[in-house]
Amino acid sequence: MANEIIGAIEQAIYLIVTFNPELIEITIRSLYISLSATLIASLISIPVGGMIYYYDFHGKRTLINLIQTLYSVPTVIVGLFLFLLISQQGPLGNLNLLFTPEGMIVGQVLLILPILIGFTITALIGVSNQIKELAIALGANAYQTIITIVKEARYAIMAAVILGFGRAISEVGVAILIGGNIRGFTRVFTTTISLETSKGNIELSIALGIILLAIALIINLILNYLQGRE
Amino acid sequence: MHIIELEKIHKNYDDLQVLKDVNMKIKKGTSTALVGPTGSGKTVLLRLINLLEKPSSGTVYFEGIDANTSSNVRLKIRRQMGMVFQKPLAFKSSVYDNVAFGLKIRGDKRDIKNRIKETLETIGLKGYENRNALKLSGGETQRLALARAMITDPKLLLLDEPTANLDPISTKKMEELILKINNESETTLILTTHNLSQGQKLSDRMVILNDGHILQSGTPDEIFRKPKNKFVADFVGIENVMNGDAVGENDLVSIKTDSIQVFTVTEKRGNVNFSIRPDEITISKLKIKTSARNVIQGKVQEIIDTGSLIKLIINAGELFTVFITRDSLIDLEINIGTPVWMYFKVSAVHVF
Repeated sequence: MANEIIGAIEQAIYLIVTFNPELIEITIRSLYISLSATLIASLISIPVGGMIYYYDFHGKRTLINLIQTLYSVPTVIVGLFLFLLISQQGPLGNLNLLFTPEGMIVGQVLLILPILIGFTITALIGVSNQIKELAIALGANAYQTIITIVKEARYAIMAAVILGFGRAISEVGVAILIGGNIRGFTRVFTTTISLETSKGNIELSIALGIILLAIALIINLILNYLQGRE
Repeated sequence: MHIIELEKIHKNYDDLQVLKDVNMKIKKGTSTALVGPTGSGKTVLLRLINLLEKPSSGTVYFEGIDANTSSNVRLKIRRQMGMVFQKPLAFKSSVYDNVAFGLKIRGDKRDIKNRIKETLETIGLKGYENRNALKLSGGETQRLALARAMITDPKLLLLDEPTANLDPISTKKMEELILKINNESETTLILTTHNLSQGQKLSDRMVILNDGHILQSGTPDEIFRKPKNKFVADFVGIENVMNGDAVGENDLVSIKTDSIQVFTVTEKRGNVNFSIRPDEITISKLKIKTSARNVIQGKVQEIIDTGSLIKLIINAGELFTVFITRDSLIDLEINIGTPVWMYFKVSAVHVF
């Protein structure tokens, strides 16, 4: 068994250094889907987080609590929820998103929105109230004040974005339920690993696992760097 | 028209009353110091003027307009003001971006580079444009804050304890800049300070606050010569404050304390506080004839060298503070226990 694993690792490394076409294709697709999802989620969550931070309204505390609860929502629950919405009989069935990369992007956006909004709010709260007052005293309107605070919290917000990307690229639930693991179309890191492993084809799994780990390592390095800048 | 008018301002935080019935009018182009001990309400008052907070009741007028009618009006008015906070604060960006902030949000980008350059020169941070603002010293940051507030050419410049967190040298630089603004521009200045001599130096009107009340407002000279009550007298460090009963038929009254009698001109009767300015008291060892109405004998109890002048504490039943020159001290051969005569005019006595 040990020999088998060592052999598989050797083959996995071989696949990587020879730029195996399937491996490259899956890597590119995974990055495309998760980066798109992270970008879209960031564009939504930074303004939304900014508004929740800036305005005082009834139920603000409850809303923040709810968002924080959703940090750890199981990925298959998000997948199931979206599946029901976009399946042929679902209310959004005519969008034809099921089993498409775009559907997976929507799913991952839903998945990481709470983390991004929540961490954005936390990052903004971390900026001293005196800076907020300074902006207001210097004549900033509500919008300009939020922009100023976001700029002050830029490193903490970038860290939140990176964390969101980490969750998106490593999740399986949405990818398998919404993507369907269709070869050459919606197959990504995590779904390939789970499928190939169950088929006993572990070289490809290990190769993909190594790449995924490398991405995690890079994410961690960037996070450390950003936290150092704070 | 006054630039700022406060009418019956009250401010409460829950049960805590921070300002009580504050009324104030500020003329354009003047410089006003809000002076009072910590917790007197001066910072809250400044924040109300900057429209960062709303009064619990009462009205803030800016150039005759009720300032708190809507957030739009507030923003419009606030953009005609500049504010420097007590704590030196900078945005996480370059010195240039910090100074440019007020201009950029007003959409005023004409000649922005030159204006920033000139302003930085004025405040003594020439060539600092590309520096990281967070790496400046406290004094530099506070001058940056002044530049940031000044560059929009505000009608009203508000300074909240601008030197409270600075070392003596930075304080001096900051005070010189404030004086310069006061003398060279049309900007109306309101600053808060707990430092009386700073208030006196930087303003042409002082407002003394304590416990949320305005106790007195007037020129520094009026405040120092004619404090309206015991708190102001003590706060401004007035010497020779005493208490006695005023009796008299005409304007000339005699005030009797437990041990001495003083003559002055006042309309007040009954129990009053009064003060005698130390610099208007002359002394001699032998009794001489003078035009001064008040002649009181006492014994030198203490001789304090204050540097330029000698401060004498003379016990005449009441304790008097008198200043003399070092030469006089030697000429008069004054020692502790020496009996001396003190002379002062009725006009040297201020009753409140």
